[in-house]
Amino acid sequence: MPVVKLLPCLLLGTAMQAAQAENLWVAQDASREAFSRIYSKVDEEQLNQALQGRSLFQQSWVIPPAEDIEIAGLGPLYNQLSCLSCHSKNGRGQPPENPQQAMRSMLVRLSLPGQDPHGGPLPHPVYGTQLNEQGVPGVPGEGQVSVDYREERVTLPDGETISLRMPLYQFADLHYGPLDADIRFSPRVGPPVFGLGLLEAVSEKTILQLAEQGRQQGVNGHPNYVWDAERQRPAIGRFGLKANVATLQQQIAGAFIGDMGITSSLHPEENCSAVQLACQQSPSARQPELADAQLDAVLSYLRLLQVPARRNADDPVVQQGEQTFSAIGCAACHVPVLTTDDFLPLPALSGQTLHPYTDLLLHDMGEGLADRRPDFQASGREWRTPPLWGIGWIARINEHSYFLHDGRARNLTEAVLWHGGEALPARQRFAELPVGRRLALIRFLESL
Amino acid sequence: MKFRLLLVLMMGLSGFEAAAKETLTVLTAYPEEVVALFETAFERDNPDIDLKVLWRRHDALPYLRMPAQGGVDVYWSAALHNFLQLKQEGAWQKLAIDRTGLADNIGALPLIDPDGYYCATEIAGFGFAVNPGYLRKHGLPLPKSWQDLTDARYSGHIALPVPSKRGNFVPLMIDSILQQYGWESGWALLAEIAANAQLLPPGPAFITDIIGSGERGIAPSIDFFAASAQANGAPLQMIYPESVAYSPAHIAIAAATQHAKAARRFVNFMLSETGQKLLFHPDVRKLPVRAAVYADKPEGYFDPFKAAVSHPPVYDRNVTLQRLALDNALFELLLTEHHETAQRLWQQLRRLEAQDGGKADRRIAHIRRLLTAVPIDGKKAQDLKTQQIFMKHTRANDADAEIQANKLEQAWRAEIGDRYKEAERLLAQWER
Repeated sequence: MPVVKLLPCLLLGTAMQAAQAENLWVAQDASREAFSRIYSKVDEEQLNQALQGRSLFQQSWVIPPAEDIEIAGLGPLYNQLSCLSCHSKNGRGQPPENPQQAMRSMLVRLSLPGQDPHGGPLPHPVYGTQLNEQGVPGVPGEGQVSVDYREERVTLPDGETISLRMPLYQFADLHYGPLDADIRFSPRVGPPVFGLGLLEAVSEKTILQLAEQGRQQGVNGHPNYVWDAERQRPAIGRFGLKANVATLQQQIAGAFIGDMGITSSLHPEENCSAVQLACQQSPSARQPELADAQLDAVLSYLRLLQVPARRNADDPVVQQGEQTFSAIGCAACHVPVLTTDDFLPLPALSGQTLHPYTDLLLHDMGEGLADRRPDFQASGREWRTPPLWGIGWIARINEHSYFLHDGRARNLTEAVLWHGGEALPARQRFAELPVGRRLALIRFLESL
Repeated sequence: MKFRLLLVLMMGLSGFEAAAKETLTVLTAYPEEVVALFETAFERDNPDIDLKVLWRRHDALPYLRMPAQGGVDVYWSAALHNFLQLKQEGAWQKLAIDRTGLADNIGALPLIDPDGYYCATEIAGFGFAVNPGYLRKHGLPLPKSWQDLTDARYSGHIALPVPSKRGNFVPLMIDSILQQYGWESGWALLAEIAANAQLLPPGPAFITDIIGSGERGIAPSIDFFAASAQANGAPLQMIYPESVAYSPAHIAIAAATQHAKAARRFVNFMLSETGQKLLFHPDVRKLPVRAAVYADKPEGYFDPFKAAVSHPPVYDRNVTLQRLALDNALFELLLTEHHETAQRLWQQLRRLEAQDGGKADRRIAHIRRLLTAVPIDGKKAQDLKTQQIFMKHTRANDADAEIQANKLEQAWRAEIGDRYKEAERLLAQWER
């Protein structure tokens, strides 16, 4: 049968969507698919692998046993049945709006005081490192978490009053016994997944240089040295909200087992603890449930996802906002420009200049944002500087404007005002800005 | 034993109470983007119900045959044969809902089970996903009918999915052509469209990728893929032929459910104005069955009720559901296996037909018949025994059926091959 050969320009669609000549990793796409464009200057085999990865990323997985063995393996305990559930359109998840709503694109990490043998969080002996709210039929889900908010008014120096909402969490229906009084928990919404290949191609040396550069600017960012399970040695973490995962492959495999209960060669055991007997007795699909080729496909897809282009960079207000962003110190941590080094797994990622607005380092963000759950060398007050690229697209693509790790901020202004710790001086300077310059800074963020 | 624990971050005591919820389990094969939208909206309106979604692709039927129907309360799917089969097995309870404002049919297309065990929640139409920019660039008009796709001007510009290998909707789409145009005429039409097309084998690229990228300009498709891609910014347009064929999705309540009231609330929500309007969302783009909501449709959205006034649908999936596997086998034998040869022979034939009096020439008409004839007639195609031996499940589990199917395929392959050879011989003779 004649086979339709995919043109190299596949998925780029129109000239508008074609990657810029000066940076092929930036998708000039003004549509709701701006987070879903695939870098296409790779060979056909690699492109097809990425397209297979796209299908797997969008796939709803099924409970075993199943005829569709290649997509079987959901559970026995899980949060959602698809990657897309928490990363809708490759973008951000959102928190429930009230206690009645379930967490649909959000989860809660758990641990006890102490560390595991590699320095990571100490799993709860029953619930592990994450509350799986759902179970396959016959296996009770671990419990539910509800969130409510308390409004707290903040008055800026110019008299403007802004209400921030403080999340309050409640665990209920805990099916496997109570949680300990000293349980550490950390609610998180699903973060965007584009541009991760570029971040992976930033060298450890660069990250260390960024730490030094930050110190010179008065911030104390530091890398998170985590356990690299593939190479069996410590490495700088860069993925996860606390930079607690060293490689993209481990991040993907961790999400498959943690969020969906799908085993892989990196996580060959189902996520059942010793007391979760129904979970242990529940059938698995083939082992591993996510075949290596499938893991490679998802890895290829996420590595090849382009980043959305900036908009309105010529707008004077945006330019003023950009200047203010640097002037008040935001750019000390949200570093505008990084360069990738040689990246052997995917040479196309090598030597790229990117604009992620992150330093991939951990920073103390103060008590207001603290989750009090250490993760390797990240303290309970520290978070990795989240990339800001694409942040201005969230409202259009994900149809909400909830920001920060747990989605508590309802807009970008609230997100800035939640900054504390090392970011407190910058936050104060933002609060003291005339309203016009504050709005210009927000316009700049919306242009990313 | 259940435990409750109040855990508070640094910001003070939480005084709220999370109320206990009733869990309602819905089995579906819809993609997450679609399901999540309905899940969120339903739970917002029904905070006392926790919707649990189970997903099955090809084995919903055995899943629903498990004890207690696998714990499933509601089944929501486009797989009509599962609704029919399970109805025979007594797996549904009557919906018993208020259907005010909901039509029972659109033309020949029923939207409700006559006995009230299931009903359509939405429909999707078959037509053509086109890239208008591509067509303009190549000076091609927008196709308006399946017949238009046989025009030689479209040669090389069409991507035609192979029904046995690509997407569950493709066999239905192919069969809708056979039902609308008649068995013999339908296959003749398909043969000529296939001659103009690249056949799409299984592959990771979506039809919307291929058309959106300008790889090809037209692809027969079910509407929501193209309409959703268009709504999300892809340079696509969905064209509906006059007298559209539709594939409905249905909903049913399991006979074994312990949550009948909650299940009915979900069904009512799906059919409510709120639920039906969710179908307009850019990530869904399916066609509501509640006619009134089209008053609020997005600009340019297709309205099947309005379209049916001038061209009522004639396709009814119930009639031909059993013959899809047979259709697939014939498509392979007639069109896929001879595709390259057929494209060359059709070019020759069209040259001859374009000559003065070409189409009236009996010898040329004979060659056309050789290239379009199907080895069995419509009556034989409706023979249940023949249909059954080609079904995937039957072939896999019944050795005799597999032998019979193979024998028939061999005979048809030989007959079709002989016709192509004869056509080739006659065309070569003519051109000498």
